[in-house]
Amino acid sequence: MITFNLPDLGEGLPEAEIVSWHVKEGDTVKTDEPLLSVETAKAVVEVPSPYSGVIARLHAQAGDIVATGAALVDFAESGGTSTAQKKSAPVPEADEPEKADSATVVGNVPTGGGLLQENAIAGGGRRRKGGRVKATPSVRTEARRLGIDLADVPATGKNGQVTSADLARFQGTLTKARPARSSPTPGRSESLRGPRRAMAQSMTQHRNEVALCTIFDDADIHEWIAKRDFTARILRATAAGCAKAPALNGFFNAQSMSHQLESRVDIALAVDTDDGLIVPVIRHVEEMNLDQIRDEVARMKKATLDRSVAPQDMVNYTITVSNFGVLAGRYATPLMVPPTVAILGTGKLQHDVVAVMGGIEVHRRIPLSLSFDHRCITGGEACRFLAAVIDDLEKPQ
Amino acid sequence: METIADFEIQYSQFLDPAGKPSADIPDLARDTAKLVDMYRHMVQTRVFDTKAINLQRTGKLGTYASCLGHEATHVGLAAAMHKDDVLAPSYREYGAMLYRGVRMSEILLYWGGDERGSDFAGPKHDFPFCVPIATQCLHAAGAAMAFQLRGEPRCAVSVNGDGGTSEGAFYEAMNIAGARKLPVVFIVVNNKWAISVPIELQTASKTLAQKAVAAGIPGIQVDGNDAIAVRHWVERALARARKGEGPTLVEAVTYRLSDHTTADDASRYRKKDEVETARRLEPLIRLRQYLTDIGSWNEKQEQQLLQEVVANVDAEVQKYLNTPKQPIEAMFDYMYRDLPEFLEEQREHAMQYGDTNGGHHG
Amino acid sequence: MAEMTLIDAVTTALAWELEHDPRVVILGEDVGVNGGVFRATAGLQARFGADRVQDTPLAEGMIAGVAIGMAAQGMIPVPEIQFMGFIYPTVDQIINHAGRLRNRTRGRMSCPMVLRAPYGGGIHAPEHHSESTEALFAHMPGVRVVIPSSPARAYGLLLAAIRDPDPVIFLEPKRIYRLNKQNVEDNGKALPLDVCYTLRQGADVTVVTWGAMTFETLKAADQLAKSNISCEVIDLATISPIDYETILESVEKTGRLVIAHEAARTGGVGAEVAAIVAEKGLYDLKAPIRRVTGYDVVMPLFRREMDYMPSVAKIVDAVRESLHD
Repeated sequence: MITFNLPDLGEGLPEAEIVSWHVKEGDTVKTDEPLLSVETAKAVVEVPSPYSGVIARLHAQAGDIVATGAALVDFAESGGTSTAQKKSAPVPEADEPEKADSATVVGNVPTGGGLLQENAIAGGGRRRKGGRVKATPSVRTEARRLGIDLADVPATGKNGQVTSADLARFQGTLTKARPARSSPTPGRSESLRGPRRAMAQSMTQHRNEVALCTIFDDADIHEWIAKRDFTARILRATAAGCAKAPALNGFFNAQSMSHQLESRVDIALAVDTDDGLIVPVIRHVEEMNLDQIRDEVARMKKATLDRSVAPQDMVNYTITVSNFGVLAGRYATPLMVPPTVAILGTGKLQHDVVAVMGGIEVHRRIPLSLSFDHRCITGGEACRFLAAVIDDLEKPQ
Repeated sequence: METIADFEIQYSQFLDPAGKPSADIPDLARDTAKLVDMYRHMVQTRVFDTKAINLQRTGKLGTYASCLGHEATHVGLAAAMHKDDVLAPSYREYGAMLYRGVRMSEILLYWGGDERGSDFAGPKHDFPFCVPIATQCLHAAGAAMAFQLRGEPRCAVSVNGDGGTSEGAFYEAMNIAGARKLPVVFIVVNNKWAISVPIELQTASKTLAQKAVAAGIPGIQVDGNDAIAVRHWVERALARARKGEGPTLVEAVTYRLSDHTTADDASRYRKKDEVETARRLEPLIRLRQYLTDIGSWNEKQEQQLLQEVVANVDAEVQKYLNTPKQPIEAMFDYMYRDLPEFLEEQREHAMQYGDTNGGHHG
Repeated sequence: MAEMTLIDAVTTALAWELEHDPRVVILGEDVGVNGGVFRATAGLQARFGADRVQDTPLAEGMIAGVAIGMAAQGMIPVPEIQFMGFIYPTVDQIINHAGRLRNRTRGRMSCPMVLRAPYGGGIHAPEHHSESTEALFAHMPGVRVVIPSSPARAYGLLLAAIRDPDPVIFLEPKRIYRLNKQNVEDNGKALPLDVCYTLRQGADVTVVTWGAMTFETLKAADQLAKSNISCEVIDLATISPIDYETILESVEKTGRLVIAHEAARTGGVGAEVAAIVAEKGLYDLKAPIRRVTGYDVVMPLFRREMDYMPSVAKIVDAVRESLHD
């Protein structure tokens, strides 16, 4: 037994009224022969028989209103054919021409989607959110790789974007600047994050790229009049070294194989604090006398201790000085941050036994470790630099 | 079998090539002043045309399409039109355009590569030159539709060549004009050549006028070198249209005495003696002869006229040569009524780069 | 206020203009007595007469050319091309004349007309009745292309198009002609051309689309919202010229762009949107721009047409991919 339901006669009409049946129960019909007439809201429609068979039952009479999809007529199985299969036979894909106004001359325009609710906004000018970081996708990728939040990086790009150079410079400060936020738990493997991750990445890069060479020597400060002034003297001496060997004061670009010398001596000074290493930059040391250097260092130290160092005071330096030996360590092979090419490390102040003309004395000495990038700096230049540093440091004042 | 339709195409000529009446001269020709006026315009057109070719040959004009030999057709059709009728030309009908008030300097500006040439100071509603063949026929039908809908006693006139009658647009225009009885006259200038393709290869149709039959509208063939015939039949077609009786096709048979354009060399595909034969049929000779014969023209007037038209042409040529190039931003300023925002950036960019020196003149 | 389908909105807008502007004339095949094969002009000839709503002979080039002639002489013709598949004979007239007349005559003449055509697939139609070749016209200077995606926008944008002093190609997505109803007030108020319409605000990805594809896009956005991905859905509406300011502002906020259109990929209007954002919004992008489009093949006959077109799944996947970059 197959039941034929009232089909959708077009445009999602919900119901139709039966005008007249063209068959009665017991009749045999063939596919496409007229079955009944129905009247919709728009027109009278002839419904052809979808199947061949015997009319078993009419579910409604002329004059009845039938809902779309409701049962209309039952067909008895015509001998031998499996009705189960017929039940699932789809309506042929090429729709028969509808007599109702299908309101299309081809195909079938879908209906019945319901009432559209929308709240469309014309145009823009309403949603600008200032302060979003601008950077090319490549810089974003690099920042992600370095674990750097672009919002922290000062941007110097023409369109306000963070350039790759900005990123590189900022990256340099991070390996020393940011205090580690959390120590790893013993026995548990934890992914490196933040500054530690950045340090791992930049040190790897350093190891892969830089041709590191370090020269060790000592400065005899026995003659010093003022016994303190340690930092200021080191900075002045570094500037003297830069004056003597400018090759160590600047940047190396491996991709373009170019070496950029700077006349300004902006020294990044690694300062160890309770919160970790911070690296403020003392600018234009070459122009300052010792008093000025001392004042600037004091100012920076204070700002560092009360955490008021501005981000721009931690980037864009030409050479680094690292007092690594506060607690222990005479000599080391400190690593500079590319694109800079030199770093002067000072070890633990010692009272050393020295040979002098006529005997042995005990003098205070500063151990010095000068690392330089041998890709663009010669041994000779480095030695000249170190000699000038020692020369300046050994002056009484 | 029963014949259910047949057709007849008539041919009309009033002046033979020697300027002698070959049929009863129609009434319009009794207004000899108007005939003389037409003749003056034809001579003006001829002199202008010659000058334009020279300008091109001396690097002062871009490619130019000469109208040599078409003067009677062009001036004749324009003389039949009312001032507020509308002309939809192709790109050769200078006689018609000049008659209707377009300036010679405007025509030169167009071929000289300057859009201002299409900004007619005179006939403000006439269509500009139309290069895509026969597309203007539909514009004329559309104009006629506008006049009909507004109840205006105005007509549209389109002009296309023998080649144009092969284009779909030509037929589509006649068809809708016929179906709607639009007040339009379709003028087909059969000058025997579509660049290098002769009429014999263009169509199997014996006349171009009979293409009207398929559209259900009347068609007539006239001697296109006979200014009186052209004017007479176009006038009648316009009168019909104005009365609401629908469109007409007027085929004016003439000859393209020049190359298709200055970039063409017709000697590659035409025989010299064919051209010479055609030259003897040319329109200026016969009208001048007729006017002389009826005592309305003489040699002195001819000389005076030549002086006048030469001076006119020279003045207009000077005007054209003295017209500087439009500013760069002009290429943006007429795309839409209001310059859209997205074009502002491009406009500034173009202006920033300044002048690229190119073009012959200005 | 009345509930109307997109096609009703078209009819209502046409009626408004016919009533209020005597220069407006509709012409096309079967638009008069039959009311248009999609009933876009149903009832209009009975109401306004056979002069205002004309049944023309069968010649698309003629329809466009006559419209241009009428427009040049002060009428506002609104010709209909029965399906975009048959629009190609008009290209000569539209490109060579409609888009150029004002420029050619330095403003002496102009061409205020709106060429309407049903476009796009998804109604199980025979060959040639499912075209989406809007890029053809979008490339042409001097011609605007407008595509509504809802009854309200169909009403407002069609009014705007008819009132615009320059030519507009108005493409109606037939798949959504009757899909939904919407409350639209027949008050003669036009919507602005040359601007995008933000259909849904979001923070994670900008999805630009138009026409019937807005429905798939909004469905995709719903689906993605369940995974806490918030999409900003923008309907281009005016395909040419593009309102790129709205798009750029959105990309500035989200950093990601997906474009979805039914038309074929290469040279589709999506490519233009992508180029604009790559040029002017590069510094805001966090991921490559992605396009979800029809394939570069002839649209298959209807048994496979839905496989050709971008689907909800394809759009969802493109959004997800752009978030994982």
